[in-house]
Amino acid sequence: MEISTEREGTLLVARAGGRLDSINAREFDDALKAAISDSDQVLIMDLEKVSYVSSAGLRVILLTAKTLQQRSAKLLICSLAEPIREVFEISGFDKIIPIHANLVEAKASIG
Amino acid sequence: MRTSWKYKILVVDDEPDLERLMLQRMRRDIRAGLYKFVFAHNGVEALERLKEQPDIDLVLSDINMPKMDGLTLIEQIPKVQPDIRSVIISAYGDMKNIRTAMNRGAFDFVTKPIDFDDLKLTISRTLQHLVEWREALESRDKLVALQNELGVASKIQQSILPTRFPDRPGCRIFANMRPARNVGGDFFDVIHLSDGRIGIAIADVSDKGVPAALFMMSCRTLIKGAAIGKTDPGEVLHEVNQLLQEDNDAAMFVTVFYGVYDPDNRQFHYANGGHNSPLVVHADGSSAELPLTGGIALGLIPDLDYDNNTVTLDPGDLIVLYTDGVTEAFDEQGNQFGTERLQEVFAGVEPTDVQAANRSVFEAVEKFAGDTPQSDDITCVTLLHGSDGG
Repeated sequence: MEISTEREGTLLVARAGGRLDSINAREFDDALKAAISDSDQVLIMDLEKVSYVSSAGLRVILLTAKTLQQRSAKLLICSLAEPIREVFEISGFDKIIPIHANLVEAKASIG
Repeated sequence: MRTSWKYKILVVDDEPDLERLMLQRMRRDIRAGLYKFVFAHNGVEALERLKEQPDIDLVLSDINMPKMDGLTLIEQIPKVQPDIRSVIISAYGDMKNIRTAMNRGAFDFVTKPIDFDDLKLTISRTLQHLVEWREALESRDKLVALQNELGVASKIQQSILPTRFPDRPGCRIFANMRPARNVGGDFFDVIHLSDGRIGIAIADVSDKGVPAALFMMSCRTLIKGAAIGKTDPGEVLHEVNQLLQEDNDAAMFVTVFYGVYDPDNRQFHYANGGHNSPLVVHADGSSAELPLTGGIALGLIPDLDYDNNTVTLDPGDLIVLYTDGVTEAFDEQGNQFGTERLQEVFAGVEPTDVQAANRSVFEAVEKFAGDTPQSDDITCVTLLHGSDGG
């Protein structure tokens, strides 16, 4: 599980690819934890290259949102493929985590 | 006189009648050497029995008793005898005490007035769990730790699933779960409610392993408890969510669809906590997803409300509840099974046999997946309002 990141001030953009399932959920979690620094105020997860998210993958995303929220930082998600956007909609998590069509819109929403 | 028995059960209740009633209603199992009953009238006496008789396997305890109540007793039991399971007897719908008992380690509960058929099932299920747990403990040294943990998790998962379903005109149910290797998360329950109504829950817990299995355990018990105390599915999910989200630092969550079916008026009343929407298949083989009610998966956020919806089934209608292991099964080219293929399973076929309908879902997924390994649990529950006049 590899993620690539780029930082712009207190904004961190993390891109993941492949499947986020129970097999690599822990790796994904570890990679995110290693990438996020305490000074990051906003994390945008760009999931354009992700083909599948299982419930274990969702849990990592929610845990990340929760951890960020505890220090008043926030998580945004962008560029979801249609089946993955459905996963967020069915589980109701699109009501908890803001989802944007693409990275530009996600960045614009930060203001 | 018999001196050997398979399981010893300690019954704790201050009511003198229960002892006589229990020995009478359980006489076959006692005579067959399956159970041996011992009795105590309060928590203090119960602890004395447990110290005297370390071969007790299960404690069945009332809550309100003099000297030491059942909730205190449940907390004390592991200090005397850690390898034991307890079942609490509570007032109908008394969620607060049930919740406390579960938190303190009770395995299950039955409600008053005691339905002895239900009690027998609960006892046998609890003992089955205990036996599997003991086997798992015994084999722990022989196995790699991880394998063992996953084995325990899957046994916990299997032990909570019902195996007998309503099968009468107007309400036929069948359910099956095919676990994926090394992954556990799905479960279902069929709950007998008052006035012949049937509660049906299907759920998918995030993550795997023992913590997820214990979360599943607790979720299943809370659903059962809330279901018999409340008639409104949305309120059931609200309450279960409220209790699950307390102290859930690991951010585990569970998607739950819960519906109540009333065969008398053919109404299916349901609420959804982030789960795939079931299909309703009509007698002509056409089908549609039940309208979404927009709830969020349970366990994460406090004070969530869950909207209800009601559909009235026509005679011959089949409801198909499933988990994402069905629709997110992959074929060798990486395509997902999807809801359209699920609908195709029923296209043009009048569903008349609830078990056959259920099996056809598994067969279709199996055929689609080919040699691709199953990556998630597959669960399907089917409910048929038969057109055979009932």
